[in-house]
Amino acid sequence: MEQELAQRIVSGLHDAGIDVITYLPETRLSQMLPLLRDDGSFKLIAVSSEAEAVTIGAGAALGGKQVAVYMECTGLYVSCYSILSIAKRFGVPLLLLIAHLGSFADQRNNSVYAVSGAYVTPILDALEIQYRLVESGQNLETCIKDAGRHTQALKLPVALLFSGDFTR
Amino acid sequence: MIRYNCLELLAPLVTDQIVVTSLSGQKIEWAHLSKHEGNLLVGTMGTALGVGIGLAVALPHRKVIVLESDGSVLLSLFNLPTLANLNPDNLIVFVFDNASYSGTRISEPTATAGRTDLATMARGAGIEKAVTVRDLESFQKEMTAALSENGLRFVVCKIEESKDHRNILRTDMDPLENKYLFVRYLEKSEGKPIIRSRG
Repeated sequence: MEQELAQRIVSGLHDAGIDVITYLPETRLSQMLPLLRDDGSFKLIAVSSEAEAVTIGAGAALGGKQVAVYMECTGLYVSCYSILSIAKRFGVPLLLLIAHLGSFADQRNNSVYAVSGAYVTPILDALEIQYRLVESGQNLETCIKDAGRHTQALKLPVALLFSGDFTR
Repeated sequence: MIRYNCLELLAPLVTDQIVVTSLSGQKIEWAHLSKHEGNLLVGTMGTALGVGIGLAVALPHRKVIVLESDGSVLLSLFNLPTLANLNPDNLIVFVFDNASYSGTRISEPTATAGRTDLATMARGAGIEKAVTVRDLESFQKEMTAALSENGLRFVVCKIEESKDHRNILRTDMDPLENKYLFVRYLEKSEGKPIIRSRG
């Protein structure tokens, strides 16, 4: 991902009012992590499993924070139980920032990722989590802000799936 | 030591603390003993500690108490290094360890019935104040210190398996109902909005 896109994601998260980000780093969007750290206005919580990225994020949201959860798409599989048993069951807003490895538009797609990527949107559909595909920087900040507003209004997780230009 | 007796000691001491419970017997017993508005009855396995960590991070000036079980912590062991590194000094974790999956009703043993020691694992993860208590007097001592002092505490309470909670009428509170009561209590006591009608 170009540095400019990484910086614009950070700006978008600012505009969306996000103040806590739980994360397990991955390969496609990781350039944003040093920027988020340098920014100083986000509480970053590094986790050991995406399952706890969701539970810790949910706890922070119930404590009054606006939370984003950043993960690779394989982390969605790991966190399904937490999403269902906490975020959906209690109705907790969480902005899921998902690097959609293995998708059609993944510019580094290969046999390692393709199978994992194929089931991401069917799983989000099954979980009834609304999502948007984000493949270029067009309207990026607006897209993040919209998703942040939507998760708060819905009081449920909402996902942005990053691929295309974000995977170069 | 019986879990209910521990919870009986804890319940009257809870004032403005937040209490997060995991599942099964301890959720039933805590809901029976405490009508505190700051109770969040999570009620699923492997999730309460994570939620409690998030609350402790979000509200660093509030004491957060997590009531966990051995089976539930074993399902979410990844919480231990995360908790150690965050090291929130407002979080108390009580793990009621009866060395069995009581909820199965056939008392299948957990790993702590064998060679596994949760307090040792917590210390290995980096949680300095991780101890095991085996009697009510030791529990009371640890609980009193944890409530009155700052610092992350992880207290493994070795208990006998008790089935008494099966005679307690279970709470009918729905998770959404619990969330709203809990959050409105936090809003009132913190003086800030948490759930808004607008996004």
